[in-house]
Amino acid sequence: MDPTIPINEIVDVVPIFRGRNPDLALCMPWKMVYGIHEVEFKTLGMRHPTAKGKRMIHIFDMSDGINDYRLEFDAERLIWKLISMVEGHSVRN
Amino acid sequence: MYGINTDKALIMHIDLNSAFATAEQQAHPSLRGKAMGVTNRISKECCVIAASYEAKALGIKVGMRRTEAMAICPDFVLLETDPPKYNDVYRKLIKIMKTYSPKIKMKSIDEGIIDFHGMEPLLNGRTLEDIGYEIKQRVKEEIGDWMKINIGIGTNRFLAKEAAGWHKPDGLDKIDHTNILKYYKERKLTDLSGIAERYGARLNAYGIMTAMDFLKAPEYMLKKQVFKSINGTYWYQRLRGFEIDDYETSLGMVGRQWVVKDPSDKDDYLLPCLSFLCETTGMKLRFREVEARGVAVWVTYQNGEYWHQRRMHKSTFYTNQEIYRRALELFNNRPHGIVRTMGIYTYMLTPSQVSQLSMFDDVTKVRNITKAVDEINDFYGTFTVYSGTSIDGKKIIKQKIPFGGTEYFDLLLKTS
Repeated sequence: MDPTIPINEIVDVVPIFRGRNPDLALCMPWKMVYGIHEVEFKTLGMRHPTAKGKRMIHIFDMSDGINDYRLEFDAERLIWKLISMVEGHSVRN
Repeated sequence: MYGINTDKALIMHIDLNSAFATAEQQAHPSLRGKAMGVTNRISKECCVIAASYEAKALGIKVGMRRTEAMAICPDFVLLETDPPKYNDVYRKLIKIMKTYSPKIKMKSIDEGIIDFHGMEPLLNGRTLEDIGYEIKQRVKEEIGDWMKINIGIGTNRFLAKEAAGWHKPDGLDKIDHTNILKYYKERKLTDLSGIAERYGARLNAYGIMTAMDFLKAPEYMLKKQVFKSINGTYWYQRLRGFEIDDYETSLGMVGRQWVVKDPSDKDDYLLPCLSFLCETTGMKLRFREVEARGVAVWVTYQNGEYWHQRRMHKSTFYTNQEIYRRALELFNNRPHGIVRTMGIYTYMLTPSQVSQLSMFDDVTKVRNITKAVDEINDFYGTFTVYSGTSIDGKKIIKQKIPFGGTEYFDLLLKTS
């Protein structure tokens, strides 16, 4: 079944701007505070742009090594939103 | 002996296998190495439209129902499609391919062709195999380290595609006159691209049981007896590595079909859906900058029967309202019954004449309002403004991922 847990909440994010290898991802989230949890990201799964009307949205699929997180950065309103997560332990096969 | 093309193999076929599933595994590290798949919308009887290599190894196939997949693997993970993600992969793949030749052609969202004819001086003595390995590496670096592609090299598009499927996944093969017989000896007839069950049965009826038999078959026999058309000659040449598939297809029709979510015979349910199908057809027409003269509506019923009606009009049309009005006239003529699938298409397409001024005020008004609505939707997102008759239809029908062509991908992204 679909292990995705919808969240849709604005979160605090510490991004990292990388100058040395800008071809991979110039900017990506590094740490996130969600509720009482502080999550440090280990892997960037994928980043891709999309649009809501004319608003540019950057989607980051991140992993902390256990769980996967889908974050959206609204480039117009400058907010980070945690859209959903997949708990690694829930994927058993 | 068989008249095989001995030219240098300069067509490269690139195939992102299990593209959607692999893209999801790329995005979700926790799903890597797991049996998972993608579906358009999760429901009890939804179908797997892409399965990961791990799922395929268990016997889960594309087109299989969710319940069947779960019976094979109870922990099978199924995600809903994410068009912007696949579009990003598609665009990055095109970007990589364009750095090698201006002559590229995407066959669908997950496969494309690079034609190296005329590019030999720029290759600096490098072989296409070298370039193939470089493309594989770049795909890992620029799209994602989990992405795998199959690359095939051949003298024509057919052999390049066959080569790409020779050693899946992550293969790289070349088929030319030096190894083509070896390849055909290893293949079954229905392994060949374009030969499915029906063609296979037709060939079997004439004693052609294997790929080698197909190659040995005389051109006259294929043309006059097996295919009974020029297709026989095309297959004769295609199998020998001569290019006959390098042509542009013209736009013949534009439309949309839909598998009715809850099969019904009620107009209250079906008409808003028809209206919504007409809206998307209108969007596609304007996206392709064409107008239509003909409209057709078709329906399949729960009992397996099929009905369709088409009508040609004197003047061209392109607005959603005009399409719906014409389609509704036809749809109301349908025999009574529970509708399982329905579709609409427009045909006799001509280039758009919107830029020409009209003598009639009402025509100008219709054009202006259509243009204004399109501009609003373009700015704020598709279906921000749409016809009142489509309100319920929009709630029911979900936008699909285009498998066949990539012509409407930009349009799809606006709606996603």
